[in-house]
Amino acid sequence: MQVQAKTQSGDTPEADTKPQGEERDHLLLIAEMTREFAAANDYKAVAHTTLERITKYMSAEAASLFLLSDSGDTLVCVACYGPVDITGLSIPAATGVVGRSVISRKGLLVRDVSQDRDFGAAVDAKTGFTTRSLLVAPLAIGKECLGAIEIINRTTGDGLFSDEDMMLLETLARAAALAINNFRLTHKIVQQERDRHELELAAEIQRDLLPQASTRDFPIHGINIPARSVSGDFFDIITLPDGRIWFNVADVSGKGMNAALLMAKTSSLFRCLAKSAENPGQLLSAINNELCETNSHGMFVTMVGGLFDPAIGMVRLANAGHEPPLLFDARTERFTAVPADAPPLGIAPDIAGADGFPVREIYLAGGTLYVFTDGLTEATTFGGGMLGIDGVRALIRDHADQSPDLRLKNIAGAVKLPGQSLRDDLTLLVAEDMAIAPMGAKPPAGSLDTPADEQILRIRVPGRADRLKLIRAATEQAAKFVDAPEAWSFDLKMAVDEACQNIVRHAYKNSAEAGDIVIDFRRRGGLLEVDIMDFAETVDPETIRPRDITEVRPGGLGVHLIKSVCDEAKFLPPPPGVGNLFKLTKRLPPKVQ
Amino acid sequence: MSYEVKNVNGAAIVALTGDVDLQTSPQVRQKLLESLEQYKRIVVDLSGVTYIESSGVASLVEAFQVSRKKGSAFSLANVSSAAMRVLSLARLDKVFTIHPSVEAALAQG
Repeated sequence: MQVQAKTQSGDTPEADTKPQGEERDHLLLIAEMTREFAAANDYKAVAHTTLERITKYMSAEAASLFLLSDSGDTLVCVACYGPVDITGLSIPAATGVVGRSVISRKGLLVRDVSQDRDFGAAVDAKTGFTTRSLLVAPLAIGKECLGAIEIINRTTGDGLFSDEDMMLLETLARAAALAINNFRLTHKIVQQERDRHELELAAEIQRDLLPQASTRDFPIHGINIPARSVSGDFFDIITLPDGRIWFNVADVSGKGMNAALLMAKTSSLFRCLAKSAENPGQLLSAINNELCETNSHGMFVTMVGGLFDPAIGMVRLANAGHEPPLLFDARTERFTAVPADAPPLGIAPDIAGADGFPVREIYLAGGTLYVFTDGLTEATTFGGGMLGIDGVRALIRDHADQSPDLRLKNIAGAVKLPGQSLRDDLTLLVAEDMAIAPMGAKPPAGSLDTPADEQILRIRVPGRADRLKLIRAATEQAAKFVDAPEAWSFDLKMAVDEACQNIVRHAYKNSAEAGDIVIDFRRRGGLLEVDIMDFAETVDPETIRPRDITEVRPGGLGVHLIKSVCDEAKFLPPPPGVGNLFKLTKRLPPKVQ
Repeated sequence: MSYEVKNVNGAAIVALTGDVDLQTSPQVRQKLLESLEQYKRIVVDLSGVTYIESSGVASLVEAFQVSRKKGSAFSLANVSSAAMRVLSLARLDKVFTIHPSVEAALAQG
């Protein structure tokens, strides 16, 4: 170490006339203290003993070490030695002799504080201590200054500090500054390492919240690629005992740890509430209300929640402020977007009525439904631009003939540039119509391989009100034949009765000479299908709509009741000779299947 | 389907039994409207209802609406599980006043 021969205060030191012994003592002290600082784990403990030693060595009365706060606007005493303990004392950074030394990064020697305009008498007034002379050296590292060491009041001789004292203190201060800086860096690295480790753990837990990879013959597949280690996106897939599948894709506003925590909460709510929800509209409404109860900080979640019935290839979908999913038919290369019907979750409670968020029924009809987050549409392409919805459509078209897993990987891979992280989390989910496999492929073997139709019962009765009781009895018998439980049988009976009632009233207009009603009960796999035919004039199904059930009035209730208890209810093109064909499909309870 | 109208302390207790369907609901409707002409308080006992569908429910809704216009009291009591299933599917379980028993309905005033 080189001891500077010139003080920072600009005074020219006297010629070196000190005896050899004292100089050697100086060097020994410097060497010893530097070594202690360098070896210290906690500079504060070393600082205290150092200040004590230096105070004694210089025959001074007190010493203190001030460090700049993180904000840089105050100087805080972190260690001191002397009759008054001022540890913790903070003073404005730009004031006092210490402040001047820190700002100028120069050592200062004030022989008589009463003559110094910068001396702040406030501290003395507070502590009852009388400062007469001061020696201050900055804790400078390069262009940075961490704080300063000050030595107060020489107790021997003329009571004044010498330039030599200044030099010694500056040398020590430099060593102390290095030690403090090292300590801070080490501390920062340890902290960063700890944060990184915790983030890794969080990411691991988060990955566990995502569903396991689907098997090849499963109709729904998903992929999630976080932009950082943790993700604000998620998706989930939950299979019910009856074969229907809940799924969702969601995006939490914001990124990083807070988004990840809200993601974890929302995904738990989805999983938990899906078990009791009847449809996605109700489910999203329930999640929304739960989130609103506790959510704060203006965060929200966009979500597409769906309930897929692979047996009939129909998805019931509710969209809360999320990127519109796309339905793609590979045979016609046509896309249909499913827009959001409701605001995101977590903003306002009870925005949906008792029925929940609006639900759309989407028949895949051989097509594939793609649900994704804006991490895909807003991703950067190889060309540098944003992918956009047209880019997403092109990717879907280009990879349509691949297996779902490969397709997801390839679509995500098209925007995940090698060696670069994504701008935003990316999540993509596909729901395939396995009932009508795309591209003319053979339907996959497995649970969806349904046995041939099984005829259960066919009845033909006059289409009159007094025959409805017979129709209900026949329906109960058909349900009994497939071992359906009573509640299930009741619902089917009501649906068939309501459908036939419509024929009696509207198709045959309550006429005594009404034509017949033919009802065909069939079992197809896990489904019971009921074809209800009449021989009246063909009606336009558009004129028959469920009533708005929030409106209390008689009439118009039948279609609502049918839709409430059947998995599917629709008019089909009638075969020759038949006026209308209305088909009900109701999934058999799991134990019956 | 059968029905019975009883006068209990000046209130009409209309008890319905069996299936209320398109064929029988016109009678139910007529009985309810008649009772509303004669009584200020109607309690419909649905304990014996084995089936009810939209036209039967519509009769109940109509009687309920007439009672409100007249300022009469109209409630359902002892609702069988079959009737309750249909009322809840129609979301009318929150619209009607429903009592666990006829006694409870009368005690309510």
